[in-house]
Amino acid sequence: MTELLQNLIDGLGRGSIYALLALGVAVIFGVMHLLNFAHGELITVSGYVAFWTINEGWSWYLVTPVIIGTAIVTSLVIERVAFSRVRGSSDFTLLLTSFGVHFVVSAIFLLYVSASVKTFSEPGWVADTFPVGSLNVEVYDAVVIGVTLVTLLGTSWLVQRTMFGLALRAAAADFDTARLMGVRSDTVIRGAFALSGLLAGIAGVFWLMRSGHTTPTVGITPMLKGVLAALIGGLGSLRGAVLGGFVLGLAEVLLRSRLPDSVASLTEGFVFLMIALLFIFRPQGLIRVAHAERV
Amino acid sequence: MLEVSRLTTRYGAISALRDADLHVGSGEVVGLIGPNGAGKTTLLGSIAGLLSPAAGSVTFEGADITGRSPEKLLRLGVALVPEHRRIFGDLTVEENLKIGGITQSRDERAELLHDMGERFPVLREKRTVAAGYLSGGESQQLAIARALMSKPRLLMMDEPSLGLAPVLVDVVFELIETLRSQGRTLLVVEQNATRMLEVADRAYVLRSGEVVAEGTGADLRARPDLFDTFVGGNGQ
Amino acid sequence: MAENTGRSTAHAGMFPNLRRDVAFPIVGVGVLFGVFVAFGLLYQSYFGGAGERLVTTSMINAIIVLGIQIYVGNTGVLSFGHIGFGAIAGYTFAIFAIAPAEKVKRIPDAPLGLTDVDMGSWGAVGVAIAVTVVVAFFVGIGLARSGAESGAVAATVITLALLFVTHEVARHWPELTGGERAGLSFRIGGKLDTRVPIYLALAGSLVLARLFAQSRRGRLAKAGREDDLAARAMGVNPMVQQMIALLTSVAVVSVGASLKVYETGSLLPEDFFFFFTLLTLTMLIVGGRNSVTGALFGVAVITVGRELARRLGQDGFEVFGLGLDSAPLDWIFRENLQTVFLGVAMLGFMIWRPKGILSDWEFDEWLYRAFTRTQSAPPVPQATMGADQDARLEVSDVSVVFGGFQALSQSGFEVRSGEVVGVIGPNGAGKTTMLNVITGLVPATSGQVKLNGVDLIGTPSHEVARAGLVRTFQNLRLFGSLTVRENVEVTRLVAIAEHDDRSTPETDVLVAAAGLWDHRDRRASELDYGNSRRLELARAAAARPLFLLLDEPTSGMSDTESLAMVEQVQTMAALVGAGVVVIDHDLDFIIGICDRIYCLDRGSVIATGNPEEIQADPAVQAAYLGSSAS
Repeated sequence: MTELLQNLIDGLGRGSIYALLALGVAVIFGVMHLLNFAHGELITVSGYVAFWTINEGWSWYLVTPVIIGTAIVTSLVIERVAFSRVRGSSDFTLLLTSFGVHFVVSAIFLLYVSASVKTFSEPGWVADTFPVGSLNVEVYDAVVIGVTLVTLLGTSWLVQRTMFGLALRAAAADFDTARLMGVRSDTVIRGAFALSGLLAGIAGVFWLMRSGHTTPTVGITPMLKGVLAALIGGLGSLRGAVLGGFVLGLAEVLLRSRLPDSVASLTEGFVFLMIALLFIFRPQGLIRVAHAERV
Repeated sequence: MLEVSRLTTRYGAISALRDADLHVGSGEVVGLIGPNGAGKTTLLGSIAGLLSPAAGSVTFEGADITGRSPEKLLRLGVALVPEHRRIFGDLTVEENLKIGGITQSRDERAELLHDMGERFPVLREKRTVAAGYLSGGESQQLAIARALMSKPRLLMMDEPSLGLAPVLVDVVFELIETLRSQGRTLLVVEQNATRMLEVADRAYVLRSGEVVAEGTGADLRARPDLFDTFVGGNGQ
Repeated sequence: MAENTGRSTAHAGMFPNLRRDVAFPIVGVGVLFGVFVAFGLLYQSYFGGAGERLVTTSMINAIIVLGIQIYVGNTGVLSFGHIGFGAIAGYTFAIFAIAPAEKVKRIPDAPLGLTDVDMGSWGAVGVAIAVTVVVAFFVGIGLARSGAESGAVAATVITLALLFVTHEVARHWPELTGGERAGLSFRIGGKLDTRVPIYLALAGSLVLARLFAQSRRGRLAKAGREDDLAARAMGVNPMVQQMIALLTSVAVVSVGASLKVYETGSLLPEDFFFFFTLLTLTMLIVGGRNSVTGALFGVAVITVGRELARRLGQDGFEVFGLGLDSAPLDWIFRENLQTVFLGVAMLGFMIWRPKGILSDWEFDEWLYRAFTRTQSAPPVPQATMGADQDARLEVSDVSVVFGGFQALSQSGFEVRSGEVVGVIGPNGAGKTTMLNVITGLVPATSGQVKLNGVDLIGTPSHEVARAGLVRTFQNLRLFGSLTVRENVEVTRLVAIAEHDDRSTPETDVLVAAAGLWDHRDRRASELDYGNSRRLELARAAAARPLFLLLDEPTSGMSDTESLAMVEQVQTMAALVGAGVVVIDHDLDFIIGICDRIYCLDRGSVIATGNPEEIQADPAVQAAYLGSSAS
């Protein structure tokens, strides 16, 4: 029982980060039908900003807003330079464009910074724990879960209660009609990229706090988790993306702790197997988004 | 107010609209009638900026608006109620209306929302319902109310009576009548020609992508070939 | 015109036309192979040892790129996972090919006693293919299922996840793979030291890729790529075609991956991961993913481009004999420039030329067209095939409700072989919904669709088509980037496989009968409206249906064209012996062609009768003009 609760907390911590990443992927998929394989690049760029600032002696409290700002700006720049030119293209073109962006960004760091791992110090409290009953809760997990909760509530308010959120939902449902109502496509798409950048920035802070290093390809893993979680939840559904993130996080933690030691390192493989099974039995993901096609 | 001259629109190699001329004066109600595939929807789409015309021009209140994006046109005062209504089914009725008023200030939007509630009581009643659950007649009212939220000077409607039961068709035409009596400018695509000619000041008849006739309701009703034009005849 | 003689089912097997689909491709591929290899030999004789290595690598890359092309090009699904399959093949090959004495040093505790297995290189290639194809089969089931619901996007993510997982497994299962750092390695001198197998494999994969594209399977897959819904309506099940393309493609990739490992002499997880995926995909995309010629061309372009970028990074502009030795340029053009080159090439092509340099141009097709340009149209026989048929379609009491909206209520009609029945009615009357119900695209709330007494409600679209009900689409759903001939041929191939007991008119006869002979080699997307409609008709007729269901065949046509369409429909129906159900709003056309007419209004049949009766019916006039008299 204790172990299960412990797993649950670890899984929620991990799932929180995945949920933030997946939500960013889903927001962009909604308005542009673009599955953003360059989403992880926001973390790559943030990682180098963390490396430069922290090694200059900045504290994490100062670095945090800088990282979030960097992620938002990077997201907007990528939209301007690449994605704005392929709006409305086929899925194939959109997918490969984002794949291309991923490689250009990581190659720039490889070329003009270094291929080697750059490290920076994590905040001191990352490894601290505090007892709750018989459990040992990491301060880090508590912070991650708390901040994610606040972020998700904020995003939910933004999407449900503001005119921007309304425009975002309308554009995701029917872009042409939204434009007929006066919704500006540039505003909505850039807004979506800014929001996606903000969410990735927050996730990035947590990711980097724990890992304490960056490389040109550091973004691949978070990107994959975000994209997979969005897919598990049901592409296009914001609620699904968050759900998918938590499901993926919990599944990983539970599997890792339950699998025999000899194969524990193959957790990723088992998770994939489960995702594949999910798709065979429920191809639309956990939450279905209706797509109408007129004949 | 609206001046369309020699407008041609193509889908790939296909000209769906050829050299269409049309004008709408301020306060006029103008009908666009003709069979399926005649190019009526293409004409409205080309005016509203959803399609880019290959040739010709569209002028609104003296300004050239050819090929402008729909969001720009809406801000100039041109609104379109699209074919099949295109209600945002997952959004509530009130949210649909708010989207329609996105170009208005917050206060004005609230006021317009109130107005629409007065004018369309059923929408006020169901304002928290997801719009996908509305009946055909209700969602047509919502589509029109949503377009009115932008305070358009020219309101275009594409087949507002499409797929509605007879009693609801009556409701739609009463609504057009009301808008007309308020002095609004309307350009309406309609397949229900008889009813349309009753409420319109003038109408254009389209066939195979071309404007083939123009005149007042009485003029067009007096034309013996109108029935044939509709059902595809060429005076056999 | 040897290929046009009346042997309609003689080559009903793999290839529709042996000369065009086998002979010319093999000749064409031979030329491509010759040019590619000659270019390589020239390059290495000029640059020596380093050049030799580059040429060998590019040939192996070409095999893998061709393998990916078979899947991506024919199905249109973007796969990031083929390098993952490559990893599976590469490891399988290495584990089975490396001598036990060497394996004891690296992976002494491999599971299943693999340490002691000694297969030899060629047996190991076979095992690699077998293992990878089995894995691909299971991945393919997931791909097919996901694609059915959310289009190609979900399938792409699954392939990406596969790549990632094979990488993770390779890194974290050192007992089998030697892990992340040590990896697997052939003993010194144990690696491939001759280019002969590479030449053979390259030639083989070129032939296979090209023949697959021309084969029945390849053509059906391409129909699904162009328009999934239309393909189903013609009787093609795209899921099956995608699976076959996947397995074929993975087999070729496995051979390429084995050679890559054998030639390198060692294997690390990193060898088959993101970078190699980027490299092979860029080659495919830049050349033109829908063409074998394009894929090979892309390999050459990217190999040369990368090499140039590498040297530019190393030596600056001295590569071009320019002595621009300025510090800022050196800073920009520095070592590893080639890695940026690939990303930029992919991004640039996606933005400015997403179809690649050659798009879907094939050398042998060009050659074939050049040889057959003067071919004359075959005669269109007047004789009806299967006039003896007595089929019967009964649609009764069909109701459809969409979210509270009654699109159809208790409607139906009947038609027999040899008849032409019209369904008319104003916009929104439910005519197209009726066709959608019959062809399995829209579920009926209640009612029956009986073909010769068998109820087809609930049958998937492609099976309805195979049972003999084939439709056209109101808003034109042709296979846009296929030629006119290919559009017709695809459905004809389905018909031949399905009804081998009945003869089906030759593709060229159908094309000529549709009046499209002069446009036979043009892409469907380049046709004008009238010709597109005629092609829709010919394509549906080629499926040799019991009943042709035509959705607004004259929509958007001029009066003269509409009248010509009457004859067109009659010719086609007679040619394949099909009954006709036609939906239209054009009364002239309907009256000109129909034996019996049903008039729908607001989801219900309001009048039935022969053309004269319908014309005189006041309810019909009211429905059309919308007078409130009804």
